[in-house]
Amino acid sequence: MLHPRHHRNALTGLTVLACATPALAVAQAPDDSGSDWGMDISLILEGIYYNEMSEGIHEPAGFDDGHDHGHGHDHDHDHSFDDGFNLGHNELVFEASLGGLLDGTLMVGFDEDDIEIEEAYLTTRALPAGLQLKAGKFLSEIGYINSRHVHDWDFVDRPLVNEYLFGNHGIQETGVQATWVAPTATYTQLGIELLQGDNSFIPYEGGGGSHSDDDDPPNEIHSSFSDVSGPRLITAFAKFGPELGPDHAAQFGVSGGYANTWQEETEHGSGLEEWDGDAWFAGLDAVYKYSSGRAYGHGDWRVQGEYFYREVDLDYQRRQFDTDHERHGIEGSGKSKQDGLYVQGVYGFAPRWEAGLRTEALGLTNDGRIERDGQDTTIPSFDTSYRHSAQVTFRPVEPVFLRAQLTQNDFVDDHGDRDRGLEFLFQVNVALGAHGAHRF
Amino acid sequence: MLKQPIPKTFATAGLSGLALLAALTLPGQAAASELNVVATTSSLGALAREIGGEQTSVRVLAPPDRDAHYLDARPSFMAAMRNADLLLELGAGLEEGWLPAATRGASNPAINEGQRGHFYAAGKVELRRSITQDGPNMGHVHEEGNPHFNTDPLRMAEVGLALGERLAELDSANADVYRERAEETAQRLREHAEHLASELAPDQNIVVYHEDLDYLEEWLPANVVGYLEPAPGIPPTGRHLQSLVGELEGMDGHVLYAEFQPPRGAEFLERELGWDSHAVPLDPPQDAGLDGYLELMETWASTFRTR
Repeated sequence: MLHPRHHRNALTGLTVLACATPALAVAQAPDDSGSDWGMDISLILEGIYYNEMSEGIHEPAGFDDGHDHGHGHDHDHDHSFDDGFNLGHNELVFEASLGGLLDGTLMVGFDEDDIEIEEAYLTTRALPAGLQLKAGKFLSEIGYINSRHVHDWDFVDRPLVNEYLFGNHGIQETGVQATWVAPTATYTQLGIELLQGDNSFIPYEGGGGSHSDDDDPPNEIHSSFSDVSGPRLITAFAKFGPELGPDHAAQFGVSGGYANTWQEETEHGSGLEEWDGDAWFAGLDAVYKYSSGRAYGHGDWRVQGEYFYREVDLDYQRRQFDTDHERHGIEGSGKSKQDGLYVQGVYGFAPRWEAGLRTEALGLTNDGRIERDGQDTTIPSFDTSYRHSAQVTFRPVEPVFLRAQLTQNDFVDDHGDRDRGLEFLFQVNVALGAHGAHRF
Repeated sequence: MLKQPIPKTFATAGLSGLALLAALTLPGQAAASELNVVATTSSLGALAREIGGEQTSVRVLAPPDRDAHYLDARPSFMAAMRNADLLLELGAGLEEGWLPAATRGASNPAINEGQRGHFYAAGKVELRRSITQDGPNMGHVHEEGNPHFNTDPLRMAEVGLALGERLAELDSANADVYRERAEETAQRLREHAEHLASELAPDQNIVVYHEDLDYLEEWLPANVVGYLEPAPGIPPTGRHLQSLVGELEGMDGHVLYAEFQPPRGAEFLERELGWDSHAVPLDPPQDAGLDGYLELMETWASTFRTR
């Protein structure tokens, strides 16, 4: 399995794939059965113009933990936009089928600075009784938007609840997934995933870490974490899709997960701060689509929403060098409880034109991560942050869309101060090549 | 803190639970011996109902008044495909925007590409060249040819014969019945096409919206002389319509478009050229049998009788 850190390997892999492609394309003659033994390749390019019209608070209160850092990777992959022009989220997608046995998918994401293997997985196609297995690195099927790529989103940016509970890429992990589709008239899919559990939602340090101070000889503190072998995260989901006639379609989902390991440490001049525990989450999602029957999406509706709640049960310790003194560390434990939701609707107000509204709340319950409070510990409690967005999208030809989005942040900071910021985003997204079918 | 390792046992239990659930809820194998057929469009559904008869139950996915290019891969489609013994696809890219996703979501290996349970109609007939193969690549390209042969009863007759063979393979006990019905179906389609064409004046010009009615040329006295779309998938522009009018000035003909396509372009040509315009269905009603398709042929042919 390719790993994001191995950029060079990834590049070599890409070159090899690119060289192999023409031959595969030639071999792709359609036969009588419609089988396609070749490889489908598509390239998704995105450009974003970003303008912060008025500055508000950048990080919603209570969610700085595990976000934008804690990955251990050398790149600062924070997905925030620069004022002005940005190369957005680009993807190179390779899909191939091994007879009716397996489908293979490789998605390489890149921007100016990074190349990352976003997904690389195999899916079985021949298991009986509605069973399917997926193995590799993939986006978890929990919720709705978590498993969708930027190209399929209705807004330029990821919903807050997904970004701040699960990280900049959502839950994107290496592991295995098993799903079962029930033989019922109402679409029913059940699935579980066993995942490695090393992302910004579930930071993992492992044993062996240590920290030294500047004394000579240096004092050393060994981190108290121990190695926990994977899989450290297990998720489960269920999706239901009733038959609603020719004009309406809907899907409802419930999902959750449990991580047996949640380890994070920060180093200070005088010692180590450690959080060690476990976490679980659960959520609901719903999507409704109305099809007007008119051409170019005119009169169509799409409404979707998700709610997620997570709890992280943590032991905290601050371990100091000056252990001879009375301050030989501070300990405590407590639960962080946080949630968030969004609801959005998009309407095709003219042929090839859509307009949408999205409203979001983050931290309706907002008990943050346990922290030091003098010689004691406390569980900080924060207010709710909100965000409201409006977009207009134009699709001049099928594989291209242009989107203008206005977003108002109404974030509260860690001190309880609230401020509003206004952002304008303009997105150009183009899919080239054999772009695959869209999921519901 | 209590630290449970993520229980391998838990995981195994989960997996085997799924498997058990799957085993328990499998439909009674002996319950219905009829073949469960799922057709993407109602034209294919009509053939399947006629040829499959009481030995099959047929479910059509695409509502006939919608553009089969642009459907969502609905959960209800996946539920229907989950239980299908046979999936009928028109193919050649018509359903490519949603069918592969729906097939994947259905988790039914019987209807995977290349399996006997997957009937690929476009592979059974020779396709007309698609105008998208020659024009600039605007994202709507049919590499294999024009997939809209559901408007050609002669090709649908061939598809019917192939479908009869496939049903015979899947349900060998009734093989002769399927073959016989397929022969009859093909014959009725051919005779009806010939009959309708013989009643019409020869050599009539038509302008169509998209290349979805091009196949009328194959069995009616029609010449396609223009398209309302400037390029496939792009709605008519004023400039394109003006130039069409310029090209067709002084000629006589009809404008045909599908019911779900906007009528504005056709109305413009009607005004400027004095041609009659007709919104026609591309497929018979969702629950139609062969008679529904024969009536639809009548509807298409009647637009050529208007003067």
